[in-house]
Amino acid sequence: MSEHQLVFATPPDDVNTVHDFLESVWSDDTTLTDEERMAFELALVELTSNVIEHAAAGEGVACRLSVAITDGELTATLSDTAEPGSVSLVGRVMPDEMAEGGRGLALVQLLVDDLGYERVGDSNVWSIRKARPTA
Amino acid sequence: MDLAVEGAGADVAVVRCTGRLNMVSAPALREAVTGAIADGRPRVVVDLAGVDFMDSSGLGALVGCLKSARSAGGDLRIASPSAQVLMVLKLSNIDRILRPHDDAATAFDE
Repeated sequence: MSEHQLVFATPPDDVNTVHDFLESVWSDDTTLTDEERMAFELALVELTSNVIEHAAAGEGVACRLSVAITDGELTATLSDTAEPGSVSLVGRVMPDEMAEGGRGLALVQLLVDDLGYERVGDSNVWSIRKARPTA
Repeated sequence: MDLAVEGAGADVAVVRCTGRLNMVSAPALREAVTGAIADGRPRVVVDLAGVDFMDSSGLGALVGCLKSARSAGGDLRIASPSAQVLMVLKLSNIDRILRPHDDAATAFDE
């Protein structure tokens, strides 16, 4: 069981801040497989990119990312101070192959077992959960 | 991410990417490919051997570059993707229009 937390703000931070944070998380936990790390990192970077993109029109966004690893599951929550999200999480489909965008949340849904969103006070809170393979 | 562009043959450009291809670096890839096409090299190989991470922003840039190359009478091929990049291509159902090639040097021979 381990828990990790990152507080960041864009600008000046960006998704590379999240990559660097995850590198330290992965080096701290040697039980995760390459596949688990790849899937979870992609899911978290897609969520973060989504938050940063939708906040870009405003005045930046402050975020708090928490990652917890247990024997049974990988979970993460990403909360931000942006305006309320208006993104539908139901039935996101992968867009046409020639589309240049719109794949982020569809990918997240394929990568994790649960994807949630709720508005808590002045924050958007995104959460993901992925069960770990049983030994 | 680092980018290096070099010409090959009469009209091929090889764009070598190293690092993370994400929302921070994707615009630089688009710029490099657009520049190569403007220089008269509309057949573009993006060498992904050094890319340890790609997300949907990187994938979107590759699709945009593919469209630019085709509308200039050329094409875009990708070479040497890592396991992570292959995972993204497969989940996005895009391995048909961006079929991975083993080697950047021979990507246009097939």
